[in-house]
Amino acid sequence: MKQKLLIVSIIGLIAILGNWVGYGVSPIEALPGIMIIVAVTIIGWSLTDCLPFKLPAVVWISLLALLITSPVFPGNSYLAEMTAKINFMALATPILAYAGLSFGKDLADFKKLSWRIVVVSLVVYTGTFLFAALFAEIMFRIQGKF
Amino acid sequence: MSEERVREWKLHVIVLGLVIVTELIGTKKIDLGIGVLALFPMLYALVIGGFISWPTFNWLKMGEMKRASYILGIAFMLFVAKLGTMLGPSLPQIFDAGFSLSVQEIGHFVGTIILGLPIALLIGMKREAIGATFSIDREPNLAVISEKYGGDSPEVRGALGVYICGTIFGAIYLALLAGFLGSLGLFHPISLAMGAGVGSGSMMAAASGALAVTFPEHAEEIAVFAGAANLITIIIGTYVCIFFSLPVTVRLYRWLEPILGRRHAVDKGEGVSR
Repeated sequence: MKQKLLIVSIIGLIAILGNWVGYGVSPIEALPGIMIIVAVTIIGWSLTDCLPFKLPAVVWISLLALLITSPVFPGNSYLAEMTAKINFMALATPILAYAGLSFGKDLADFKKLSWRIVVVSLVVYTGTFLFAALFAEIMFRIQGKF
Repeated sequence: MSEERVREWKLHVIVLGLVIVTELIGTKKIDLGIGVLALFPMLYALVIGGFISWPTFNWLKMGEMKRASYILGIAFMLFVAKLGTMLGPSLPQIFDAGFSLSVQEIGHFVGTIILGLPIALLIGMKREAIGATFSIDREPNLAVISEKYGGDSPEVRGALGVYICGTIFGAIYLALLAGFLGSLGLFHPISLAMGAGVGSGSMMAAASGALAVTFPEHAEEIAVFAGAANLITIIIGTYVCIFFSLPVTVRLYRWLEPILGRRHAVDKGEGVSR
């Protein structure tokens, strides 16, 4: 857990620097927001470890974050306002940078695959995206929301 | 242990450099005539990062790349927390779209099968096609299929193949696809945002990022609905795979394989058709 805390703190720092360069939010202004996000993540992990029934950490972390910013939670508007200062794209950039840095580890396995699996992968990703968007669009049109 | 830590600092420093450089470059849109290509910092970071870890250059060692992958898993949780804080204040809006949100989820699960399975069979895959198309094959789906068929089965080989392709170019591909579909004007940005919630953090981040670039006036809503759809896909995904996707794919395979499968195709020994 201590190691995880160190890693999320470092990523948090990188994110607020990216947020500064890319979106013009000063690190001092962004600091409370990132601290809230880091705290939610750490508490979510602790819940995952402590609770007797096993659910993925994503579930607890997202539910916790959702709860503290939802209208029922005291101080939600402050928490929502502070975390809103962190642009979600600024937080995603370091994550995809780590994803890029791990790219090479799968390349050897990738080279063993035939062209067929590459075609099918692209089709599968297209299918899940396209059909979900299509179903959503149809529902919205039926309900007359747009 | 101390050696591990030194390596890890190297990764963090590279990432910091990538973030600053890519954020300075900023967002670019390229008009291709038929659609717009949306390019933005997280995509550059992904591509340059991939370049740095290219094995031939030997800039990163295998252990460092594995470490980067481990950090990626941890970093993704921060992103989940951030999305959660965006969902909280928008709960009324999400409940309002509840019905569409549940229906689109079906699209995530059937979309892979409807489009993927026939094409996999047409190009000559056999039982690999089941593993490759029953889901987008992220970690939970892999667990489901290897539990059922065992690690060395053709089904699991197909699933692993899609998993590897996904880690290598899933994020890039979905970003390009999202930007392209967005620029066509056929779908509302919110419908596309829900489509972006495929159930993988990095892919969703890249796809919703491309949508936010394409529709800047909807950026906030896009993140909210992509996040909500992604969360639903992750939370119920494992169960849907066990009770719906996998059985349906297997049935469809039995029905479609004799029709579409290339039975007499010469086995080229590529380990796919066997």
